[in-house]
Amino acid sequence: MLGRLMQSEAVWLFSRSPAAILAAIAAVTIVLGALFAPWIAPTDPYDLSSFSLIDGLLPPVWEDGGDPRFLLGTDDQGRDMFSSILYGARLSLAIAAMAMAIALVLGVGLGLAAGYYGGRFDAVVMRIADVQLALPAILTALLIDGISRGILPRDMHDDLRLGVITVAIALSLWVNFARTARASVFVERNKDYVQAAIMMGQHPLRIMARHILPNILGPLLVIATVDLASAILLEATLSFLGVGLPADSPSLGTLIRIGMQYLLSGEWWILWIPTLFLVVLVVAINLLGDFLRDLFNPSLR
Amino acid sequence: MMVLNMDKCPDTLPQAAANHREGVMFRTTFSAAAIAVSTTALSAFPAAAESFSWAGTTDPQTMDPHAVNAAPVLSFLNNIYEGLVRRGPDMGVEPSLATSWEALPDGAGWRFTLREGVTFHDGAAFNADDVIFSYERAASEASDVRSWFAPVTEVVRVDDFTVDFLTAAPNPLFPGSIANFMILDSDWAAGNGAELPARDAENFATRNANGTGPFSLAGRDPGIETRLVPNEGWWDMAEHNLTEAVFTPIGNPATGLAALLSGEIDFISPIPLQDVEQVESRDGFKVLSGLETRVIMLGFGHDHETLKYSEETTDANPFLDARVRLAVAQAIDVATIDRVIMRDAAEPASQLLPEGLSGWSAAHAERPTFDAEAAKTLLAEAGYPDGFSFGLMCPNDRYINDEAVCRAVASMLARVGIEANVNAMPVRGYWDELRSDNFDMYLLGWSPGTFDAEHPIRFLAHTPNERLGTWNFGGFSSARIDELLEPIQQEIDEAARQAMIDEVAGILQEEVAYVPLYTEPLIWAMKESVEVVQRPDNFFMLRWVTVN
Amino acid sequence: MVAFILKRLVQSVFVMLAVAFLAFSLFKFVGDPISQMTGVETSIEDQERLREELGLNDPFFVQFARFTGDMLQGDFGYSFRTREPIGEMLLSRLPATLELGTVALVISLIVGIPAGVYTALRPRGLVSQSILIATLIGVSIPTFVIGILLIFLFGVQLGWLPTYGRGGTVEIGWWRSSLFTVEGWRSHVLPALTLGLFQLTLTMRLVRAQMMEVMRTDHIRFAIARGVPWRSIRYRHALSNTMIPVITVIGLQFGGVIAFSIVTESVFQWPGMGLLFLESIRFVDIPVMSVYLVVIAFFFVIINLLVDLLYLAIDPRLRVRESV
Repeated sequence: MLGRLMQSEAVWLFSRSPAAILAAIAAVTIVLGALFAPWIAPTDPYDLSSFSLIDGLLPPVWEDGGDPRFLLGTDDQGRDMFSSILYGARLSLAIAAMAMAIALVLGVGLGLAAGYYGGRFDAVVMRIADVQLALPAILTALLIDGISRGILPRDMHDDLRLGVITVAIALSLWVNFARTARASVFVERNKDYVQAAIMMGQHPLRIMARHILPNILGPLLVIATVDLASAILLEATLSFLGVGLPADSPSLGTLIRIGMQYLLSGEWWILWIPTLFLVVLVVAINLLGDFLRDLFNPSLR
Repeated sequence: MMVLNMDKCPDTLPQAAANHREGVMFRTTFSAAAIAVSTTALSAFPAAAESFSWAGTTDPQTMDPHAVNAAPVLSFLNNIYEGLVRRGPDMGVEPSLATSWEALPDGAGWRFTLREGVTFHDGAAFNADDVIFSYERAASEASDVRSWFAPVTEVVRVDDFTVDFLTAAPNPLFPGSIANFMILDSDWAAGNGAELPARDAENFATRNANGTGPFSLAGRDPGIETRLVPNEGWWDMAEHNLTEAVFTPIGNPATGLAALLSGEIDFISPIPLQDVEQVESRDGFKVLSGLETRVIMLGFGHDHETLKYSEETTDANPFLDARVRLAVAQAIDVATIDRVIMRDAAEPASQLLPEGLSGWSAAHAERPTFDAEAAKTLLAEAGYPDGFSFGLMCPNDRYINDEAVCRAVASMLARVGIEANVNAMPVRGYWDELRSDNFDMYLLGWSPGTFDAEHPIRFLAHTPNERLGTWNFGGFSSARIDELLEPIQQEIDEAARQAMIDEVAGILQEEVAYVPLYTEPLIWAMKESVEVVQRPDNFFMLRWVTVN
Repeated sequence: MVAFILKRLVQSVFVMLAVAFLAFSLFKFVGDPISQMTGVETSIEDQERLREELGLNDPFFVQFARFTGDMLQGDFGYSFRTREPIGEMLLSRLPATLELGTVALVISLIVGIPAGVYTALRPRGLVSQSILIATLIGVSIPTFVIGILLIFLFGVQLGWLPTYGRGGTVEIGWWRSSLFTVEGWRSHVLPALTLGLFQLTLTMRLVRAQMMEVMRTDHIRFAIARGVPWRSIRYRHALSNTMIPVITVIGLQFGGVIAFSIVTESVFQWPGMGLLFLESIRFVDIPVMSVYLVVIAFFFVIINLLVDLLYLAIDPRLRVRESV
């Protein structure tokens, strides 16, 4: 069994690529840390009574004045940085994965349909895509925020920010999926096997799912990885611009936003430790994306 | 009487300015002797003239002194325009375009004697007509500063250089309350179609200025750069040594700090508290820190039947019980907030205005002691031994480290068992939320525009209606305070007035109407070679700036 | 061809209307402009009067109709905050943004294309791998952190470059340019680098991928077999074949650079449209926000139209399909 697995091309390639192996190790470590944050983290950053302002701004243990209770030091509120980062990675990854999934479904669905039906429907979808590209993510976030505030009852507003930021990121990412899917459909539609399926009177949905989609899975997977990385960064940027998550729900983005205030003040760990985590995570995901791209595109090997 | 900040004023504070210091409460006449002193004092000043560039967070949105009643605008325009009176380095009221003023008999109003020989920047002469015109403009419906003139019934031109402001009731504080009422030239405004402040579209006065002040407007690029040059024909002796002053708004605090440290600008205000050490540790830079006149406090929904943002207590509002409010006050460790978040730059506050302002109540200087156990006991007595959860509204871009303070408050309250759900938002939507009663508790900062205790009573303590108590979002109501407001406004005898203010301060403390936390610090950073005067109202006055 | 352009233009008008509608409905919820326009001492009745005068109490559709109606007549209205005419405001900020975007794009091309070619030709080399990893890390740090870092390194510690603003400007008609002064060029370096870093990485990777693919195509292999010198193969045959898709993508990206310059402009206090927009959000300057959005959408529609026309010109097969 193991032997057969090892023989498979992907694994062989993977074992030959140190960058991919390192990236995978880093990504898996961070993802596991995020997944099991409640069990690993020494404190719960959401529990207000678990930290105290008196412990504020303590440096990591290896620095002078560090406190063994706080491995990576504490932030301006006395929250344990290590716990915050684990929970932060958890939240950031959840948002990014969710946003990416929404973008994937929405983008691929619209792209396939636009490419398959063409004509007026295609025009409408692509013009919407144009508009979407014209709206920077911050505007989309404000727009979603505004509309949801207008529609939903007042007492739901405070729980909304997570949803708002997820949908906003999803909306700024779907266009890539849609364009790729649409372009692939244009290519595949005229091929014989698809034409044959059409002649046989198969339902368009079936044709797309059975014949077209499998052919574009590779590029879609590559875009998905790259977009996962962008989504994590986008969340951080939205936090910086003040339309992100509140400071008391730590994501990597909000941690960096808070840390930015301490860029010069000597409390370097508040900014640089979460930033380091973010960079490692995003680089790892991007490297895996590169690996996948090479895998699906043998000519590049 | 103004103790605020004085110990931190630069010791090179011009002697002339020191001679002008007057009490806020006392009217004064400008003596010929004082002029003589200031002249000699000034002749010793270095003659080297300099170009000066400074930055702040917000661009003054208009050059029209009556269009927007906001600190960035009024502060900036005080360099260009002048009022009948002005405030000195210690906030004392001193003569400006009026050389003296006196109360009319029977409290019928105030008579101002105007300064002769003053010209506007375009050369036109200043006289009573300009005062009347400016009053009509500033009190018009198109003006945002008309509330200053609410007590005024009529303004009478006695002669070319005498004007009477008639008031319906005695108004001892009136001269000080119009220190920011700036005078325009009537012919200039009328001739350029700027008779009224711009409402929907701009007019000539939005981007042009013609005042009598120490500087005139040389170039205006809104949001980018505003250029001032000294007014050679200014009536007063110039204490500054600038040849040009350029203002640039820099929104991002880190960028602003970088601009200072790289030497591109000479002065910036404010800088983040946590960066003070960094600036001071560098050669050639210094930080001037003092206290602003703003008190940061927590407010409650006094007129809310139930909590709006509680997970379990949906049928009652525990904050209606004064014991619960006191428990909140006792649960918050202001000293630690000051140390960690405000870097020891703030000062704990006991009242709605900071110590040292006129009317501050010495009898009520104590704030509730930090005592988490006592707070728990109080909560148990009030029937909440297990605490409750509620919503704490908070701005995140209005006051220094406002969001961090709210989160720290929430964490401290959690330790006595009450759980605050912090909702921090940009100030652009904040006031609207508060006006719509969307809070259980909220954070508010208040700086009394008149630098007197009457101001917060009028806006924060009086029962809210169309004109009074307009920032009393929680609807705190005390019949006695409502009754005392008018006598406080009209009482001329200082001791009697202070007795009434003390009574109000007592009621507010006993009822725990608000929980005053601390007085906000004021942090200015500049090159070592720059000398400025830091006024507690955070107005940056170029006339006191010297560059060596 | 003409029919196609016309059709696209009509579609574009609908797009613009949709954007205007979105823009306008969105800003109903951003905050209360009145509380940002008045001082703390302004009475409630005075605030209400201002609200009435500005037409903020009118039904939504009345406000929207007024907004679009005025805009179609070329009247963009006035800013709530400064009371300036918005058309003039945006026009005075436009050059800063366009110049920054262009310089960023040019930097990304000048560095990105050679780097792409190099890494494609020596895919396993140490330098190539370092370049790839370095740029990857570069795009993995949030833009705002990069910007501030550059400012502190080159502006404060080394003191080589200005920390904010666009330096000296020269007026050419209404266009205020900072590309004609030394100070202006120095001011461009850091923000353009910050803004262009993502573009640079993208261009490099695109060129690299295309180049590697093209190097394997039959006509290159044939050229190698024919004995054409390596130099000529790399730069005449391979690179020229690589450039067509690259240029198309870059064209599309330019719009993105303009729209995404918001963060860079705010970090560098760059007086462009993005900064104006962020300030407008802060002060709930609804008219400015709406017009900005419509103007940006207009740019995108035009760029997309041009790119599609370019496709048509390059690839005749598409013409047939579009006409179907």
